[in-house]
Amino acid sequence: MPSANCLRNFSQLSLDATAHSTAASRFLQPRVACFSTSAARYANPQMKKKGMTAAPKKGVKTLNTKKSKGASGADAGKRPAQGERKAQRKRIVLSNNNALEVSSLKDLTKTNVLSEANEGLVMGLPEPVVDALRDVEAFKTTQGWSFFRRPAVLVRKEAIQLAKLFKAAEEAAPGKDKKTIRRILTGNRMSGKSTLLLQGLSMAFLRQWFVISLPECQDIVNAHTDYAPLEGSEPTQYTQDTYTAALLSQTLKANKAYFENAKITQKHDLAVPLPAKAKLSDLVAIGVANPEASWSVFKALWTELSQPGQPQILLAAEGLSHIMQNSEYMNADVKPIHAHDLTIVRHFVDHLSGVKQLPNGGVVLAATSKSNAPASPAMDFRIKSAEALKIQTSIPQWNPYTNGDARTMEALKDLENPKADLDILEVGGLSKEEARSIMEYYAESGMLRHQVNDGLVTEKWSLAGMGNIGELERASVRARI
Amino acid sequence: MVCRKFAQSLSRAVDTFGSQSWTQCARTARRSLQPPTSRCISTTVSRPAEIETEIQEPFTAAKPFDFEAEIGRKDGGKKDGKNILRTLRVVPASPSYFSAKPTFTDDFLSLSALLRKVATLPTIPNAEAPKVAWKTVEQYRIMTNEPVKTQRFHKMLHILRRLNCIHPQLMPEEVVEAMKRYKKPSQPGDVKPKPGVIDELGRAKGVGRRKTSSAVAWLVEGEGEVLINGQSLTEFFGRLHHRESAVWALKATQRLDKYNLFGLVQGGGSTGQAEAMTLAVAKALLVHEPALKPALRRAGCITRDPRKVERKKPGHVKARKMPTWVKR
Repeated sequence: MPSANCLRNFSQLSLDATAHSTAASRFLQPRVACFSTSAARYANPQMKKKGMTAAPKKGVKTLNTKKSKGASGADAGKRPAQGERKAQRKRIVLSNNNALEVSSLKDLTKTNVLSEANEGLVMGLPEPVVDALRDVEAFKTTQGWSFFRRPAVLVRKEAIQLAKLFKAAEEAAPGKDKKTIRRILTGNRMSGKSTLLLQGLSMAFLRQWFVISLPECQDIVNAHTDYAPLEGSEPTQYTQDTYTAALLSQTLKANKAYFENAKITQKHDLAVPLPAKAKLSDLVAIGVANPEASWSVFKALWTELSQPGQPQILLAAEGLSHIMQNSEYMNADVKPIHAHDLTIVRHFVDHLSGVKQLPNGGVVLAATSKSNAPASPAMDFRIKSAEALKIQTSIPQWNPYTNGDARTMEALKDLENPKADLDILEVGGLSKEEARSIMEYYAESGMLRHQVNDGLVTEKWSLAGMGNIGELERASVRARI
Repeated sequence: MVCRKFAQSLSRAVDTFGSQSWTQCARTARRSLQPPTSRCISTTVSRPAEIETEIQEPFTAAKPFDFEAEIGRKDGGKKDGKNILRTLRVVPASPSYFSAKPTFTDDFLSLSALLRKVATLPTIPNAEAPKVAWKTVEQYRIMTNEPVKTQRFHKMLHILRRLNCIHPQLMPEEVVEAMKRYKKPSQPGDVKPKPGVIDELGRAKGVGRRKTSSAVAWLVEGEGEVLINGQSLTEFFGRLHHRESAVWALKATQRLDKYNLFGLVQGGGSTGQAEAMTLAVAKALLVHEPALKPALRRAGCITRDPRKVERKKPGHVKARKMPTWVKR
């Protein structure tokens, strides 16, 4: 390529480097010593100039694939307002006007909610319970509530087991020895753990228990809310004022019936003055309004609930493995804070592990998750040994090369003890009768356009991995091929 | 056959009328008026070409001339041997000897004659005729050691196929024997796989492959439970499509609720594994219910999909993709 470059180099032979001809070429070319052309040639390969191709002929249209940067493309559509997309994502739709009304659908009531006669039936959730469940964020966006006219649940075998536990707790309540029943819901992905927890919550609401529910454990530990060390705690615990205030507000809304005529019986020392003749709901409202007082309000509420004659309590949490490890929060030494050092989590875990008993009896329910769950080897090990106890095989050995969380091992050690109240509740696949019942409900709602016969039921049951209810819904309602 | 019998009778005649017929030229001159079919005249018995099964043609030499006996018989030893030799002509074994491909010509002629003979027998359509693997032209060339043209060989194959279409119940033994020479040593359907067995626990095993996956399936009577590599169908296959593929053999025959399935799959990706399961399950199902084969074939569960990843070629970016064309 005997180009201009070559000639220029030749011209440099006789020229001083400073007396270079053009400023532009000085930018492009590094200074080179005379009599050496190679470096200059190899260091800067000549870039092809743009637009080297011949100009289009006159009158010939050229293809222009670039989008015009002008006004036409920019403001084509209106952007969603701030927070609108998130609201869309988090929206919970509980009814579908296009779905048919199921005439045979009966509601759960206070009397029939714990009865075993419901087994294998689809039962509707009554309006107040739906409101309460909405308040405690028991409905998830991933669940298929939006396909049907109104929320209804299948009373499956595991739900009956849960109902028996509720019954046992209620029967023990009037007597001296109150019962705290603790269960961890485990099972495969999409097997209905969250829905079973929801069923537990609705049982508690219908039986007029007091319900405190941690709707998603991830939100407590992911460091999205403020936190502060709790004064006078040793080792240091941390309160989360905003989160506690939100939890109090949820609890207040969900347990409306209880708060209507609950009175303050004890004396509490709060930072905020309490008006005279205040009801318990006023106390909680103060906690909601003043986040800095929320933890003391929560404690005061718990003291009130601990008095004899108060209702049973259901403590529920979802996504257990999040609170069985270090949280995302840091302490003053920039070390991670263990989730059990957060006051709310501590309160729940103490009751789950059996360190504290529910004063008037009740149930502690924790659901594990298989999709949004950080690895927690200690919890998995404890659950596995509980499973081994159930099927009477040898209890697995802890692998000493894995890093297990010691506090989790300690908290869940009752799982290995057959006499303790803590146990797992395995949520497995549906039986074929249950599958048939729920599929008939799908068909009656008009969401499954097929005659529900034995062939269809067994086919879907098999394809759904032996009656995994989430997969069953996915195969019959969501995927309509 | 006609020519052979004719030749035999002629040779007998030669023996009897030794004085007349031992000079070949006289005989040929006399026989030149005969129709062309009777040209098969030789000093030996004509070769029964269609019976032979060996690769190499057996060669039968002409009878040795017994000059003394001939001379003594004719005129009491008056003539000497030199004169006899002068009048002697060697006749080749085959009348097609002077064609370039005598064996092939003989084969072709004998088959044509055979077809003419059996042409009136009832036939069945070609599709229903028994499947036969005929020798290839290469094999035939090696067998005959003659440069047979492909087209001519195919003409012979036409005759053979026509012969094969004779109704099996009326197929003459002669034709069967004649066709044997042109068949490959191994015929389709010779090797039959061992029939599957249901073991003492009631399990039937089937093996299937697809792409680089291979699957083993065991079927027992049950109520539709499926375990693949110890996991449930939903755990093992994330896609609904793959789940349906894995149990397609059962689903297509409405047997999903009649059997329990245990599978072991390895290799490849999930699509390959699912479709390997399809074949494995179908084979295991055939052990239980052999009559389902047509239904399974219609469902596409019998034939193994032979497609594999095509190899990369030099000068190509992938198997077929070429590098981007650059002007300079």
